[in-house]
Amino acid sequence: MAEIRIEGVSKLFGDNYAVRDANLTIRDQEFLVLLGPSGCGKTTLLRAVAGLGMADAGQILIDGRDVTYLPPGERKISMVFQSYAIFPHMTVRDNIGFGLRMNKTPKAEITRRVDEAAELLHIEDLLERRPSDMSGGQRQRVAVARALAMQAQVLLMDEPLSNLDALLRLEMRAELKRLLSEVQATTIYVTHDQIEALSMGDRIAVMRDGVIQQCDQPSTVYSEPANQFVGSFIGNPPMNFIDGTVHGSGGDLVAEFDGNRLAPTAETSQALERLSGAAVRLGIRAENMQTLSEPADGAIEVTVSVVEPLGSQNLLTIDLGGNRLKVSTHPTFSVSPGDRVWLRLPENHVRWIDPETELVVA
Amino acid sequence: MVAPTVKRRRPLTPYLLIAPALLFLAAFFGYPMVQGLILAVYDDEAVLPLLSDPGIEADSVGTLPQGTGLTVLDQRANLIEDEITSDLLTEDWFRVSALDNNDQTVEGWAPETRIRIREEAEDGTPLAGTVRTKLAAGADPQTTLFAEASESADVAAKLDARTRVRIEEIATLELWFLVTPQADETEVDQSLEGWAPSRFIQVFGEGENGRIDRGTDGEFTWRFVEKMTEDRFFGPAWRTTLLLMVLILPIQFVLATLMALIIHARLKATSIFLYIYSIPMGMSDLAVGILFFSLFTGNGFINSFLEGIGVLDGPKSFLSADTRNWIIAAIVLAELWRATSIVMVIIVSGLQAIPDETLEAAELFGASYWQRVRHIMLPLLRPSIQVALILRTILAFQVFAVVIALGGGEVVTVLANETYRQYFTLRNTNVASAYAVFILLLSIASAFFYLRAVRTQDELSKT
Repeated sequence: MAEIRIEGVSKLFGDNYAVRDANLTIRDQEFLVLLGPSGCGKTTLLRAVAGLGMADAGQILIDGRDVTYLPPGERKISMVFQSYAIFPHMTVRDNIGFGLRMNKTPKAEITRRVDEAAELLHIEDLLERRPSDMSGGQRQRVAVARALAMQAQVLLMDEPLSNLDALLRLEMRAELKRLLSEVQATTIYVTHDQIEALSMGDRIAVMRDGVIQQCDQPSTVYSEPANQFVGSFIGNPPMNFIDGTVHGSGGDLVAEFDGNRLAPTAETSQALERLSGAAVRLGIRAENMQTLSEPADGAIEVTVSVVEPLGSQNLLTIDLGGNRLKVSTHPTFSVSPGDRVWLRLPENHVRWIDPETELVVA
Repeated sequence: MVAPTVKRRRPLTPYLLIAPALLFLAAFFGYPMVQGLILAVYDDEAVLPLLSDPGIEADSVGTLPQGTGLTVLDQRANLIEDEITSDLLTEDWFRVSALDNNDQTVEGWAPETRIRIREEAEDGTPLAGTVRTKLAAGADPQTTLFAEASESADVAAKLDARTRVRIEEIATLELWFLVTPQADETEVDQSLEGWAPSRFIQVFGEGENGRIDRGTDGEFTWRFVEKMTEDRFFGPAWRTTLLLMVLILPIQFVLATLMALIIHARLKATSIFLYIYSIPMGMSDLAVGILFFSLFTGNGFINSFLEGIGVLDGPKSFLSADTRNWIIAAIVLAELWRATSIVMVIIVSGLQAIPDETLEAAELFGASYWQRVRHIMLPLLRPSIQVALILRTILAFQVFAVVIALGGGEVVTVLANETYRQYFTLRNTNVASAYAVFILLLSIASAFFYLRAVRTQDELSKT
């Protein structure tokens, strides 16, 4: 049992908050991904949990134990570093067994657990070699094996795949996911790669400028972003945003943009009512828009400026009253730049954003 | 197969850039070093060849080493066929013309000793003279004129004593000696007999004895090396050098590592330590020696301090001829003070090359600070320590100024001091070179030892 609780943690570098008032509870054996652009404080928060950069305020509890100011070695945690931090002067076996040796584990036990970890990572035949003549992928496996051999209840990973090439990353991603489901550790995984986050995490905590923006399941974070930043950071292409205004009230509430009108769903119109008469921003994902080659009821006429065939889809770039939209269509949908098409925005997929606060209101 | 139309070109610029450096190395490093090596084992005046005839083109009949005692069997004057140098024994010969007792005009060469000069030009050039009388009983009363300026030449004429002669020409001749080794020279071939010019031979007394002053042919010899090893200061010198090294290096490396760890800990204000530690690096070794000398003198700081706290009643003389151990201790202290920071700088740079994440990983996996030092930092510092060890050991073999300043170089002597003494005080270039080569060999040997013992390249080349 190792629940990690991060309560009101802040970390300052000089006068700047690297992490500001972070609150997170990571359940036992949960896989939480800290996601955000570089400099958002995700690694700083992870290091605070690891004890490599102590928090300036707040409390960190692991399994109910206050570890905020404990040295890393006493936190019963394990970690995979971005640069792997393999000890270059030791054999792979000594690397994997390092933590166990430091903890004065009996020799036979060390051998057993090193072999076990090596087997999990398929590096049994590398055990007597030195890291200097190993490839990046092999070193990565050694780093993971070293972390797993500790059999700690908490496993921290700091962008473990970012130094691998694309193909290897894809392979290791699936393998890591399999491994982590086997080892049953509570995991915090830092990455700037949204694909990794979406594909691996039980939950994703999106960070920006030291503040946690949203923490939820991947599907929720993707389809119901808490604010404009999350919507624009997650998803490829990012969420489209269209500026407009809201008019009316009650059942007559309607959004107007670039001469077009869109009525929200019944539930959302209530939440939108307080914005009535003011600006609003519509957010919608590329794959949620319907593209039609014929005029249809409620469809907006637009002109295609760029067509990008991506194999599984065709990505269209469309100008809509100063907003540049990315729309994905089925690869069989035949269209050329300059063609007129008709777009339909399904109101249940539209997220309504208050442009003042950039928060999603409905 | 398609050949490329443009030839592959090798970049020339790096070679051009390196060329002056290579020339510089050859001229100012390679050449003097080779010369120094040669000086130590090669005596270019070792042996003198004896010739079958008096004349530099004659065949050699054998060689005798420098210093061999000689018996002079004969001497001969000979035309000088090369440059006249000051150490020649010369004899002037005159070409004279005269009327003989048959009233025939004759001409020939006679040695200066046979002619008494009667008339000289204003510049002292002899113009005319008379034939000297022979005093020895039973000798031929006539004086022989030779066809050439040599006693082995044909006889041209014979003149009576007191015959007036005109001096036509003067020739300066060098003396050659027919020599054989003296009976007590047991190490050389006693039967050897041959001619040698006067410039290489010192002749004593009445001209019957002599010795070979210097040879013309070089010879590789262990003589200078033997002279060095048999020197009474040689043993003390290298033993003291090694003793100093054994005393200084371990303390120095422990201190330097601790200092480097302090700086690397990046505590508040540790950068000030770096500056403080670096001060001694800016001081010359002689200055450091003098500084420590002033600490240890009769009214120096240490005496004043010890008297002040009541340990001593009066000044103790630390640096005197009968306090050898105190001198050694002072040298050790001065060298520690002076040269530890250079080791520290090397180790600090080595520490900075260790990635932070590596140390963090060790910390995270439960290694305490000293475990990190022992299992991570020291192993990863091996290349730096190797460099520092090589550097410091080589410098320790060369220790000189501090020793001179603190001990004067008599009671406590080291190899570099002996080199200096041989070269400067005793004017013995070859033995000084032997010492220098000895230091060089020790340095090379120690560098190889460290490169082998602290093997690093294979495991740390790629990290």
